[in-house]
This record gives sequence, structure tokens and C-alpha cells, in this order.
Amino acid sequence: MTVVPQSGGVAAAPGGSSGNLYDILELILDRGLVIDVFVRVSLVGIEILKIDARVVVPSVDTYLRFAEACNRLDLESGGKEPAKLPDLVGEVTEGGAHGKSKGALSGAVDAITDSLRGEDKEPEPAARERERPARGSSRRREE
Amino acid sequence: MSVYVYSITTSHHPHRLDGLDGVGSPPSELRTVRKGDLAAVVSDAPDGLRPKRRDLGAHQAVQERLMTDGAMLPLQFGLTAPDDDAVRNALAERAEEYAERLAALDGCVEYNVKAAIDQEVLLRDILARSEEARRMNKLITSGDAPPDMPMALGELIAREVESRHASLSETVISRLGARAEDSRRSDPLGEDFVNVSFLVPRKEEDHFSDAVDDLTAELGEAFDVRCRGPLPVYSFV
Repeated sequence: MTVVPQSGGVAAAPGGSSGNLYDILELILDRGLVIDVFVRVSLVGIEILKIDARVVVPSVDTYLRFAEACNRLDLESGGKEPAKLPDLVGEVTEGGAHGKSKGALSGAVDAITDSLRGEDKEPEPAARERERPARGSSRRREE
Repeated sequence: MSVYVYSITTSHHPHRLDGLDGVGSPPSELRTVRKGDLAAVVSDAPDGLRPKRRDLGAHQAVQERLMTDGAMLPLQFGLTAPDDDAVRNALAERAEEYAERLAALDGCVEYNVKAAIDQEVLLRDILARSEEARRMNKLITSGDAPPDMPMALGELIAREVESRHASLSETVISRLGARAEDSRRSDPLGEDFVNVSFLVPRKEEDHFSDAVDDLTAELGEAFDVRCRGPLPVYSFV
């Protein structure tokens, strides 16, 4: 993990490094000052982001997917060591968690990204961000 | 023609915007509208503006340039006013409020942190700690389980995942929040368990970055921590 310097930001090269845009899309679209006498232009995708953010209810699908994922684990092999997990999860707080199923929200962002891709025929660096590679803190170093 | 509004600054901000384009294709020209002690960066608004990558990039590029030269209030993408006078009126109407915000945010930048944990690692941890989950898992994989057991196991696992995500989220927010002036959380997207923005004074940026590095190292390889910044203070205007 490294902190992306500003010079590597969107502004650096016109049409160049906007792959960086993906991770901050919701800031640009959903944060920032709103002046209520101004008109928000109709923007495909924004509504999707907001609507889907509310529809994150654990579902039958989620449960079955979790169960299957557990069934597939080879518990004897040990697999990856949950090295630091015990310390961090020690102080588990009850409740407070938002229902969070994967799928709905990533789908919304994908929809926006797709609409971005659909509009611009140029190569889309953001596509790389959509396909999450294997977990690990090393990914950002490539940038 | 209506006017696209990017950002509000004090009137003495240099608005050094050379080499940058506004939204639209062909790109619109950036200019300044002033009123009293405030100024707004605007351009003509293209008809039928939509969140194309080019336009989002142009919006963001203006903010990134402006933030290097002083306090600014970035607007949300896509706001338009009927004409320059409407922009001046809007500045005048809330002049005091904007001036206060600009003063409060002067010298500060935003960092956005998102993080996810490898699901397999998480599931292993849950099974290791829950005898009940292990028992159900074993029955299911051996084929001796009643038909509703996968659902019960999944429900238990989902609860545990949620509670661990919440706990991890608190850990990240409290650890990094100690190095920031303010924070604002959002719903995590995709498989992330945390999505939070921090307001960091420029002079504390190094300390904040160190804290992110330390936390990332401590969390280890099972975690995917993405920190973006310095960013315009979208979340704190």
C-alpha cells in the first residue's frame, strides 16, 4: 500500500491516468458541495448508486454462498494463516454492522463504470480496477 | 447557455487553471465568476452532460489544481446554474457560510481509505472460533445434514462476517482517525468492509501516511487496503 501522490492523480495526463478515478467515483458523484438553487444535470448511474446503497439485505443467496464457501474450505490444510486476525477481531462489537452483501453495490459501481466505458471508446484503465485481483497489500505498489 | 460550476474559493485564490479543460466535448473553457470575497470556477455547460469519464476527469482535475493553491469548496459533479448572475447570487446568498467553510478547511486535504479482507481467511477464522459452525460444516460436507442446515450455517456465517467487518471497520477508523482532524464514513462498496474519508491538515500528511502504512503492515497480506489522497475535500464541505 502506498499513498498515491497527487501528481499521479487524474489531473496528471488528460485522458491518461483516469483509472485512478474509479476508487473516488462516489466522492465526485455523491459528495462535494451542493448548492440547492443550482440544477443537477440528469446523470445516468448516480441514481443507481444511491438506490443500491440501501438495498443491502443479507439474502438466501448470500447465506447459501457463505455455506458453500465454508464447505469448500479444506480445514485440515491450514491454508492461509489468519495471522493478525485474532488480535483485531478480539474486540468484536455487537450490532452496528450494516447488512452488507456483495453484489448489489459492486453491481452499481460496475453499472456506472460500464456507462463510462460505453460513452468513451478510448481504452478504459478503470476496467482493471473492476476485476479485483487476489487480495494482498501489494496491488497498489504497481501504480 | 447554462453554466457548469466546479468550485468555490476566496476571491484572492489565483485560479491557476492553464492547460486544463472544462467538461464537454469539445471541452469548454474555464473562467472565474466573482462576487464580494468569493469566486467560483465555472465554464459553459454542454448540453446533455452525462457522467462520462472525460467529464468526471475534467471536474476532478479542476479541483486537484485548485487545491494546490489554497482553500476551496469542491462542488458535486453535475451542478449547473442558469447564467453567471445566478452564480453571483448564489455566492452572495450564503457568503458568510462559504467563507466560514473555506477558513475551516484551509490547509486541509482529504484521504479516502477503503479496505477488504480475503474472504477465505475470514471464513477460516470464523470456523476456527465457532464450534457450532464447525459442527454444521462437517455434517454438510459428510452428507448427513438435514436439508435446511446449509441455510442455518450460512446465516450464522453471515452474522459473524458482519460483526467482524464492523469490528475491523472500527479499528481502521479509530486508528487513522487519531491522525486526522475529522472523518466521514460511507457505506462500503463491493467486498470492502470500510469506506471512510479523513480530513488531514497538510502539515500532518506525513504522520497520516505513516499511520496508514503501519496499519497496512499490521493487518498483513490478507487485507487489501487502498488509500487515496491527497484529494479535494469533497466529504467535508
